[in-house]
Amino acid sequence: MLSRVWNLAVRGLQLLTIALFAALVVDVLWGVVARYWPGIVPSDWTEELGIYLLAWVSLLGSALTYREHGHLGLDYFVTLFDPAAQRLTAIIVELCVLVFAGYGLCYGGYRLVADTLASGQLTPVLQWRTGYMYMSVPISGAFFVAFAIEHLLGRPLPSRPVEAAPSA
Amino acid sequence: MSAELLVLLIVFIAVLGLGVPVAVCLGLAAIVSIASIGDVPTGFLVAQRIATGIASFPLLAIPFFVLSGLLMGEGGMARRLIDLAAALVGHLPGGLAYVTTTTCMLFGAVSGSAVAAVSSIGSFMIPQMVTKGYGRDFSVALTATSATTGLIIPPSNIMIVYAVVAGNVSVAALFMAGFVPGVLVGLCIMIAAFFYNVKTGNQARMDPPPLMPALVAALPSMLLIVIVLGGILGGIFSATEASAVAVAYALLLGVGLYREISVRKLPDILLRSAKTTAVVMLLIGTSQAMSWALSFERVPQTVGEALLGLSQSPVVVLMIINVLLLVVGTFMDMTPATLIFTPILLPAVMALGVDPVHFGIILITNLCIGLCTPPVGTCLFLASSVGNTTIARVVPRVVPFFIAMVVALLLITYIPEISLWLPRRLGL
Repeated sequence: MLSRVWNLAVRGLQLLTIALFAALVVDVLWGVVARYWPGIVPSDWTEELGIYLLAWVSLLGSALTYREHGHLGLDYFVTLFDPAAQRLTAIIVELCVLVFAGYGLCYGGYRLVADTLASGQLTPVLQWRTGYMYMSVPISGAFFVAFAIEHLLGRPLPSRPVEAAPSA
Repeated sequence: MSAELLVLLIVFIAVLGLGVPVAVCLGLAAIVSIASIGDVPTGFLVAQRIATGIASFPLLAIPFFVLSGLLMGEGGMARRLIDLAAALVGHLPGGLAYVTTTTCMLFGAVSGSAVAAVSSIGSFMIPQMVTKGYGRDFSVALTATSATTGLIIPPSNIMIVYAVVAGNVSVAALFMAGFVPGVLVGLCIMIAAFFYNVKTGNQARMDPPPLMPALVAALPSMLLIVIVLGGILGGIFSATEASAVAVAYALLLGVGLYREISVRKLPDILLRSAKTTAVVMLLIGTSQAMSWALSFERVPQTVGEALLGLSQSPVVVLMIINVLLLVVGTFMDMTPATLIFTPILLPAVMALGVDPVHFGIILITNLCIGLCTPPVGTCLFLASSVGNTTIARVVPRVVPFFIAMVVALLLITYIPEISLWLPRRLGL
């Protein structure tokens, strides 16, 4: 039961990431079209919305990627360890991620969102609250924490995908 | 060296060695060193640097170039580019090897992903070369090294990453600056292949298809680079907008003209692009947090003074930096290496009068070599698996190409005009 709810949550996160990415493509293309299509008023909000969406897609996507061990790491030295040490190292890695995500993304992100919302800071064109963009930090942080716990509980996961090597 | 800096270094190297993702290492090092400064809201600062580091308009080009690269690679683009390359150089003695390198260069101008080049070109060309009597390990080494040219030939995401961390460097200038060096690296690889052909006496050609049909078939793919660079240079759109137009064009080709991508596959392609993008973005975000700590500790100044203390000569300093980056590149992937070392090294070389665009090309060419060297070499590893061989067997065959790439790197380092001539001609 719990695992079904969990799988649904992960699927939901994937769909949200896809939808936000699609919106990002449409948004920036609209910016180009609006500038050159006669009769349409050029819009400067597309740039701002694009940045907003980029933060969300990137951070939610990075949590999903972490679930599949897709982030770049220096795994060479670990391969030289014996199996017992490798298992121990794997646990240390997850703990490091827990500390980073728990303190840096969740707690730090919460402070960032709270302070920014309290200051009432708005984006220049859309007049949206900047705090809502920053909310991507603690929310993706929560997923990082959840995925780290999932890893620690030892659930079988897809192995590292080849396309994980980014700009290469 | 201050205590805080020592803490930062120790934390970073220790967790890095254990295989913690580089982005998390950077984040942890930033947390620990900012906390050790005291009197600053550590969590707030780290989260803020991550968020504002990612939320920048120039970086928007990265997800779009990733996506357009995937869309272009999904269809039969590699096959059409191979045909074009075969029509161009297949008739030469030993032409089969040159076709592989030429295809990689053409591919780079469209997709900009060396990894995609290795898998889609290698899976076709490596078996071809093996059938025609080339050694399997040689073919794998050739494919792995040739594929890196795509990262120097525009469009190139690593250049966008460099431009953003370097600050005030034009993406358009970097793109144009990469053209000649990318071709130069490709030529040097082909020269190495030429000597191998002569030595082994294998002069296998590739039956060239008629040029015109091959050109017509490949033209729609090649038009992408014309649209992207023409649009940027003509001032029609920014680099970011060009990347979005590239996505629209790739969609038009893949879904519309060639009908090689079904609409049902699009969500999956979007998700894969989002994940690839996310890897780069999280690295950028956390490296921005780390660089706050570094500049607070005046690390770039310290490193700069140390470098300039060794020598005031640009020739010597660039040599030291190249050796350092070659060593770093053997262990570390390109994006984290660029993010970590650009802010530290760039101020020092700029003090010596090196153009930041030129330095970007040096850095990227250098780190390309690292993609083909063990113990960590993405292209080498992937090519070995595509070619069904082992890394240990391929490494001896990489050596001549390694030398060729180092020669190209030295030429690019010491003849700035190779990089700067084209952007200057275009007034960038």
